[in-house]
Amino acid sequence: MRLLNAVWIDIRFQVKQGFYLVYVIITVMYLIILSFLPEKILETALPLVVFSDPSVLGLFFIGGIILLEKSQGVMQALIVTPLRTGEYILAKCISLSFVSLLAAFAITELSPVTGADRLLVALSVVLTSSLFTLSGIMINAGCNNVNQYMLKTIPYMLLFVLPCFSLLGFTGSYLYTAVPSVAALRLMLGAYNGIYWYEALGLTLYLLVMNYIFFKYAIRIFENKTIYRENA
Amino acid sequence: MLNLVHIKNDLRQILRDPVMGILLFAPVLLIGVFKVMVIFLIPFLNSELNFDFTPYYIYLLAGVLIVISGMLGIVTGFMMLDDKDGNIAELMSVTPLGRGGYLANRVSLASFLTFIYSALTIYVLNIVKVKVYSALLLSILCAVYAAIIGLLIFFGADDKVKGLTFAKGLNVLGIFAFSDLFALKWFSAISVIFPTYWITSVLKSQNAYLVLIIGTSVHLIWLLYLIYRFLSKK
Repeated sequence: MRLLNAVWIDIRFQVKQGFYLVYVIITVMYLIILSFLPEKILETALPLVVFSDPSVLGLFFIGGIILLEKSQGVMQALIVTPLRTGEYILAKCISLSFVSLLAAFAITELSPVTGADRLLVALSVVLTSSLFTLSGIMINAGCNNVNQYMLKTIPYMLLFVLPCFSLLGFTGSYLYTAVPSVAALRLMLGAYNGIYWYEALGLTLYLLVMNYIFFKYAIRIFENKTIYRENA
Repeated sequence: MLNLVHIKNDLRQILRDPVMGILLFAPVLLIGVFKVMVIFLIPFLNSELNFDFTPYYIYLLAGVLIVISGMLGIVTGFMMLDDKDGNIAELMSVTPLGRGGYLANRVSLASFLTFIYSALTIYVLNIVKVKVYSALLLSILCAVYAAIIGLLIFFGADDKVKGLTFAKGLNVLGIFAFSDLFALKWFSAISVIFPTYWITSVLKSQNAYLVLIIGTSVHLIWLLYLIYRFLSKK
């Protein structure tokens, strides 16, 4: 119940901050661009668009959300309320994944591409979005303003993005799937262009495990470097 | 003289903060990434997908210029949002610097850097033949665009999260740089009121003085309107 309330409050906050409105505008922009791409390129471009924007929006926004909540005294409140740190973080992941999911489905359903596996699209978007949101929570530790946060994300983004080029294919390139972003992109491409069921299952399980590890680390880092430092 | 002292102090403050110091070099990283893409990715697309990117080089260059200007504009916007939290602009208005001086200091630094990085982008990417005077004008337009983005974030956002939402929304302005590609009359008609459209237009029509004049005017109208709003805000 606490978790549900926290998710609901986060969603209301995101609506008030204009997240949903801005993603309506961004979705229209992507649809205009995608409608002019040749079919051959569209098959690759659509999953890349869904992966590179709606799925990683958590990383972009979570820094600002935590910094704002810090300045509003939410960290002090977290210590004295029954809401656990894990629930607070999970609520952020769920609410931001919800925006990602809506944007991803709007882009997919309104684009000329047909035949995407909706279940896999949903799975890959949620698992990617939560992974990036959790990364953002860890990166945010110790940041005092949004500019600092944005700068700190650059090396992490490079770590996540550069291995994705391994999907172009070369000897031993499948080994890069160990990088969570590559696994996520592989699953996303598979959701749109077809994938063996055992590969999809393997990638999903791997991303679930990575999400769990990131979640545990995020709780530890958030408690030590954000909540307790703030309240020291 | 006063402004020079403040710019010097701002620069010193920024360079002392390692994070901000590095942030100034992030555009260089971005230029490097795009240069690598031009060298490796475009030939790859050509050979693997038989997709010739050459006709789109102007749009690629315009896109990179807009991304870099936008990035520095966003940084300025967030610096001003932080100042808004601490009522710095109001404090400055009672100093000899004044509200206008504060704005000039905040915006001029980002604009100056954008000017340098834009010129650097044109010559490092080296994918479109740009005349010297066009490169100069484009760098000035990009510098103005960075100031516009910073001011839009300052006016559009009350807090950091709204600032991020606004920054995300402002990315949409980039699409107007590519409006000619869509061959939609209504879309091109709307695009002319946005600065980004004119960045591409100036690149495409380097000898058309009317394009250069209108492009510059559109940028200046946006900038002057935002400056007027800032100065007239109580």
